[in-house]
Amino acid sequence: MAAPALQDVSLRIEDGSYTAIIGHTGSGKSTLLQHFNGLLKPTSGQLTVNGVTITPATKNKELSDLRHQVGFVFQFPEAQLFEETVLKDIAFAPRNFGKSAAEAEQIARKVAAMVGLSETTLTQSPFDLSGGQMRRAAIAGILAMEPHTLILDEPTAGLDPQGRRSMMNLFARLHREYLLTIILVTHQMDDVADYADHVVVMEHGQVLQTGTPRQVFADAKWLREHHLRLPQTAAMAEQLAARGFSFDPLPLTEHELADQLVPQLQGGGRHD
Amino acid sequence: MTKLLLGRYVPGNSVLHRMDARAKLALSFAFIAIIFLANNWATYLILSAFTLGCVFLSRVSVRFFIAGVRPLIWLILLTVTLQIFFARGGTVYWHWGIFSLTAGGIINGIFVFCRFMLIICMSTLLTLTTPPLAIADAMESLMAPLKLLKVPVAEIALMLSIALRFVPTLMDETQKIMNAQRARGVSFSTGKIRNRIKAIIPLLVPLFVSSFERAEDLATAMEARGYRDGAHRTKYRVQQWHLVDTIAVVVFVFLTGALVWLRA
Repeated sequence: MAAPALQDVSLRIEDGSYTAIIGHTGSGKSTLLQHFNGLLKPTSGQLTVNGVTITPATKNKELSDLRHQVGFVFQFPEAQLFEETVLKDIAFAPRNFGKSAAEAEQIARKVAAMVGLSETTLTQSPFDLSGGQMRRAAIAGILAMEPHTLILDEPTAGLDPQGRRSMMNLFARLHREYLLTIILVTHQMDDVADYADHVVVMEHGQVLQTGTPRQVFADAKWLREHHLRLPQTAAMAEQLAARGFSFDPLPLTEHELADQLVPQLQGGGRHD
Repeated sequence: MTKLLLGRYVPGNSVLHRMDARAKLALSFAFIAIIFLANNWATYLILSAFTLGCVFLSRVSVRFFIAGVRPLIWLILLTVTLQIFFARGGTVYWHWGIFSLTAGGIINGIFVFCRFMLIICMSTLLTLTTPPLAIADAMESLMAPLKLLKVPVAEIALMLSIALRFVPTLMDETQKIMNAQRARGVSFSTGKIRNRIKAIIPLLVPLFVSSFERAEDLATAMEARGYRDGAHRTKYRVQQWHLVDTIAVVVFVFLTGALVWLRA
């Protein structure tokens, strides 16, 4: 038997939270995610998702219900597109979960609008879309299940900076307006700082630390020891602090950094 | 899916592992040919002993061979049953319509069974002890004479090695797409047969699309690094003929001689 991918993992993700899971490649993030919607079952121990408890003995049939409560956007989700038209592809999941054709189409049109796909793209083949649009179509295909939780596995991988920003804004909007619980796996510490309200740090299949981004990013030395980087804002604050500036609390977003920096610059805050 | 014939190489350092892939490939084909020389107990006994000896020399666990037989077991049983009930000769034990159970039929059935087992064991032995790429290289050198007939041997070998190289990649890809579609409510392992067959489409379409994209990327990458067909390129993996290979060929010649001498 190979070594277990996850061991001794115990954590809680609150309804309506925006949780970021970070850790370098091979730390068990993806394996953990696949437990959240029943793609994998624990070999020992248990987890409870929205009142449904999964143990090693849970039957696969019982997991199907979980699958549409917890939407899973895989890495490079555009690989899952297969239908003749974008509309049909988005309607695929609701059809699988027992919605009628008319209902599924109605839902598909609604979620397509949510992710910002125009009416005209809906009749196109998904393979004729641009990379960014394909990803939006694939994400719409997940949202069409009307999940209460959305799992995002590196959703901005391979997108240009602008595409990345608009994708992250989309998720923030889903979180804010549709009250989706969001679980984000990412290597982009800036995204963690900008969007998440809760962070889980993983290493070697174990949970290393949990807390708010401010708590997790507070100890730059600890992060470096675990091969994790600071968000750009915090890194800049750290460098400025070395030159005599002081920051409290640690700025995580550009606004926070600017707000703390301006008075110090005006007041001649440099003590060289 | 890991049981795919091509992916079953078991690393090792036995005599058979160290043999030249060309020798192993050529002898495996020759073995399948000489099996048809066998037509009585003595000849089948010799062939079985030879095969068991090879299996022993390979130092590969017997369960791999059993795993090799398993997917073909129904085909074997069907053929053997047909032989037993339809082949005639010798004492008739039982007779009903076109069916009959005769001594000749039973013996024939046993022979056919042995033939199947021997062929499967030998070809399994080849794939267990030879890395797939070495088999592709061996095929290229064995097909070399066909170059005279303008058969694009190097290109065929290249296609073969690329195909082999991408078996694990495609399996990964399949697993990923299956997971993504399972997350969208597709069930590959439960439900009605009709639905399970329909579940293949959301798997195959993305797999085809990504394979074509991958193929195009690979072609671009190869051209960018100066690949042209027809260029006489040297080999990174050089095949070497050793003393063991010569010994194997000699043993094989003796085996063939013995079969010719002992057959009825």
